[in-house]
Amino acid sequence: MKNYIYTPRADYFKCRVPLKEAHQAFVVDGQLQQDENSALQRGENGKGYNVVFKRNMHAGQILQIISVRSHDLENTLEYKNSITVEENSEASLLLCFHTFTMNGFETKEELDIDIAQSGRLDLIIMQNEHNKSCHNTAINITMGRDAICKIHVITLHGGKIGNEINIALNGKGGECNLHGLYLAGGKQEISNRVNIYHNAGECKSNQLFKGILDGEAITRFSGTIYVEKGAQKTEAYQANNNLLASDGATAYTKPHLEIYADDVKCSHGATIGSLNEDELFYMRSRGISLDEAKLLQQQAFANATIEDIANSELRERLTSLVESRLRGEFSDCEKCDRHCC
Amino acid sequence: MANLIDIKDLHASINGREILKGIDLTVNEGEVHAIMGPNGSGKSTLSAVLAGKENYTVTGGSVTYMGKNLLEMQPEERSWAGIFLGFQYPVEIPGVTNVNFMKTAVNEHRKHNNLPPLSAAEYLKLMREKLAIVEMDPAFSSRGVNVGFSGGEKKRNEIFQMAMLDPRLAILDETDSGLDVDALRIVANGVNKLKKSTNATIVITHYQRLLDYIVPDIVHVLYKGRIIKSAGKELALEVEKRGYDWLINEIQ
Repeated sequence: MKNYIYTPRADYFKCRVPLKEAHQAFVVDGQLQQDENSALQRGENGKGYNVVFKRNMHAGQILQIISVRSHDLENTLEYKNSITVEENSEASLLLCFHTFTMNGFETKEELDIDIAQSGRLDLIIMQNEHNKSCHNTAINITMGRDAICKIHVITLHGGKIGNEINIALNGKGGECNLHGLYLAGGKQEISNRVNIYHNAGECKSNQLFKGILDGEAITRFSGTIYVEKGAQKTEAYQANNNLLASDGATAYTKPHLEIYADDVKCSHGATIGSLNEDELFYMRSRGISLDEAKLLQQQAFANATIEDIANSELRERLTSLVESRLRGEFSDCEKCDRHCC
Repeated sequence: MANLIDIKDLHASINGREILKGIDLTVNEGEVHAIMGPNGSGKSTLSAVLAGKENYTVTGGSVTYMGKNLLEMQPEERSWAGIFLGFQYPVEIPGVTNVNFMKTAVNEHRKHNNLPPLSAAEYLKLMREKLAIVEMDPAFSSRGVNVGFSGGEKKRNEIFQMAMLDPRLAILDETDSGLDVDALRIVANGVNKLKKSTNATIVITHYQRLLDYIVPDIVHVLYKGRIIKSAGKELALEVEKRGYDWLINEIQ
């Protein structure tokens, strides 16, 4: 069990305590740092990483890959990563995105994930950069027969964050659960574009994306579910709920279903609302100040997206990070002493 | 007995419609007041105005609470100062557990009194003690605030919160509505156990039934935004027997 404070370089991660059950690896400006985990290899041209979870392997530790942008690189960084979950293998991954430079930067990243027959992937993505960052991530997932994946995409902070998630359910019995939480304030822009392709029958997909917007933030959610002609007995659900905490924020949402099979259960729902006045008054009448009442309501709203995270230590840390973020404690990265993930 | 609240010629309206048309009411420490009245007489408006609900506009008069102008205070400041409103329709807050809700409230009160927050163990001890007053199962604490609670459970939860916050002036708005006989007894017993010589209660009710359990010192009848009669507890019995018409005829 590792429980030390790990810093690949002196000026990074001054206060990082790893999760108890995690193996940490670092990607600095797209370069995978020396790592003893043999499953993890450098990618094309030495950039990014490839990781393979071998057949019949059971998830022990969480593999945590922490990607940071430093002040050494000012250009746009582009790289590709891949994750392969072989047949009947079980993988648990936590991908964290941070920055240790206050300069503006742009990152374009692709992540290809293949989950073979009966493979299981638990993937948590935590995006925590700063107001001048611009980060586009394209995640392409293909799933085989009876494969299961559970994904959480949590966007805590970033200038302009774009996530495109394409999931192809290519074998019968596949199941994918996708939860997203985006917290946007100031002039931040966060967009999530999700395409789920039900190419085979008897698969299930379930999406829940929630956003809390403050300041003049703009968020976009567009979700499409395609159900192919032969994909009978498909169950596909999608929900996007947005909470506007200020008058200047804008949330766009575009749910979309394209169904070519006739024996399916599909639904989509999108809402944009504001804080509930009756709940706020009830809390205030008990002596909970207005700010604290708003926070409780926002936490309750956000919690539905993270409460099903299996690892309790990680769930608690994320809950506390969400609270700090909602309290506005991330506005100054230089003074940040959070343990993040 | 010191004066707790002094309401003088209070006028209040909602969406431009005047509901309270000159309320005068004084409540002293140690007293229990009952306010009765037909539907639409302004009973709930009065309680909402005293708790500081924002959609009501006070258009005239004054409310002095422990020497301060109550109407200038925010709802949370009124709570810190010792005012408690038991809601007729307690609000459900999905996703916020009862324990988190009350712990936050108790600690905000403590912060206001320059006391450190309660530790988890101290809070649990206090909570269990107060839950017992309304015969509530501690399992309630891990559920969302009022979510999926029956009518009786919601009202018991109101009195539990009152016990936790130990107010000087509790205003109980139709606490008896939607209660069966057993729940009514539990809720009323809870209120009686919390009675002290230094606090006071205003009980707003439609029916005399609750006043068999919570015995008032003074009964007021509210009609069309004004108190038209104040008398001892026998007034409630008379209203139960004869209705409100004879009182309304008396003033006309």
